[in-house]
Amino acid sequence: MNSQVSDAERVQALLAEVFQVPQEDITPDLAFGDLPQWDSLGHMEMMIRLEEQFGVEVSADTIAELVSIPAILTYLENNSHSQAA
Amino acid sequence: MSDTTHAGLTIEITPGVAIPAHLVGEVQSKLAYVDERIRAAEVAPSGDRITLQVQAEEDTPQLQAELDEKVQRVIDTMVKGAFKPKIQVLEDHLQRPTPYNQDPMQELVARGEVSQEATGMFSLGPLVTRLIDYFEDQFLGLADAFDANPYRFPTLIPAKYLERVNYFSAFPHSLSFVTHLREDLDVIDEFAQHAACDQHGLNTPPDSFAQVQALLSPAVCYHLYFSLADQPLPNGRLAATAVGSCFRYEAINLASLERLWNFTMREVIFVGPKDYVLKNRENARQHMSQVLEETGLAYRVESANDPFFIGEFRKQAAFQSAFQLKFEIRARLPFEDSTLAVGSYNYHQDFFGRHLNISLPDGSPAHTGCVAFGLERIAFAFLAQYGLDVRDWPASVREAVHG
Repeated sequence: MNSQVSDAERVQALLAEVFQVPQEDITPDLAFGDLPQWDSLGHMEMMIRLEEQFGVEVSADTIAELVSIPAILTYLENNSHSQAA
Repeated sequence: MSDTTHAGLTIEITPGVAIPAHLVGEVQSKLAYVDERIRAAEVAPSGDRITLQVQAEEDTPQLQAELDEKVQRVIDTMVKGAFKPKIQVLEDHLQRPTPYNQDPMQELVARGEVSQEATGMFSLGPLVTRLIDYFEDQFLGLADAFDANPYRFPTLIPAKYLERVNYFSAFPHSLSFVTHLREDLDVIDEFAQHAACDQHGLNTPPDSFAQVQALLSPAVCYHLYFSLADQPLPNGRLAATAVGSCFRYEAINLASLERLWNFTMREVIFVGPKDYVLKNRENARQHMSQVLEETGLAYRVESANDPFFIGEFRKQAAFQSAFQLKFEIRARLPFEDSTLAVGSYNYHQDFFGRHLNISLPDGSPAHTGCVAFGLERIAFAFLAQYGLDVRDWPASVREAVHG
């Protein structure tokens, strides 16, 4: 399995779990504010889960950058040390 | 570890995890809400020791255990996994020379300029009132620069409004509730005949009071957002200004004019598209930079976060920091080598637009922002820097206040 595809699936699954919505609601280009649950608290919960599940470090700078699934995937591609599914 | 003194007990607690420097003040402020028996709380600057002054007759293992468990819960919730904030300084005039370095409160009280009614409640005399009027003139000048429409809002705010913007979960500790006697002849007669105050307050049984429907308002701008709710924003953008009494209960943190339960806030508020709100917030900062230079205030503008309660603090504070949503004007208090927030530049993204269904012409939720000033605080900070002798004041302030 391609690791990029794998990360995309894992991110979609993670967001579905954090925002408590069906995975089909997590579209590939979903961004901050597109779901009511992706608000400030939802965003920060997602940041914490990204750290835990992907082993990446999320800083104050990156919190404001990771505001869409494409941005998250790019960040993971450049920073992940892990953990292919 | 504990010591008994005539004032109560001193209890020291070692945090389970060291409190980082950027959270020392935040954790210390929250310890005020841990237990009613705590009369003072201090976190060592190193973050590895907490000292509590506790009102209790005797030290017991149970008391120690109760306090330790609650304090550790605060620390765990606020500190574990906390993101380090990015501090951004937009202006730094902290070293602007000022002539005074005493705590002005003693002289203010001696001259009858400040009179304490109760904890966190003060009456102000003519000099302080005129000084506040001077600052109000500056803030009204700021509002005029944006053609901001004037508004007046009630001091009460409906509970259902605050619930709608998640205020209860974000700031439960600072709420001030309003009630009245139940509409029941027996209850009212009973109150009229027996109401009395002891050292703890009014002796009335709690079931004499009606269910809470309103609170004392914690902020001015909320009223504007509620008045715009559930409809398209007329003209797609709005600048407004209002002044009002605000209420934030801060327990043992209430102190002098620095931290009041009942204070006055002037706000200039922007509602509209993101770019409009952010541009005006920045324009307001630049306008106020000139005003504060004329006023001679020593201050710094730096990123900050709202005082969220323990449960939401870690996430909300980090979010505000990361997205640069809040900047505070922090004035120098020379007598204690610290700073005091006297105003703030705030951007709420589309939080209120979404939660209150305020829509722009394209159907998207409106963005909001506000520039807010604490009137008592800015007067106090000025007096802490310049003293009460008007001859030492900058000419522009002296002439405006004294003619």
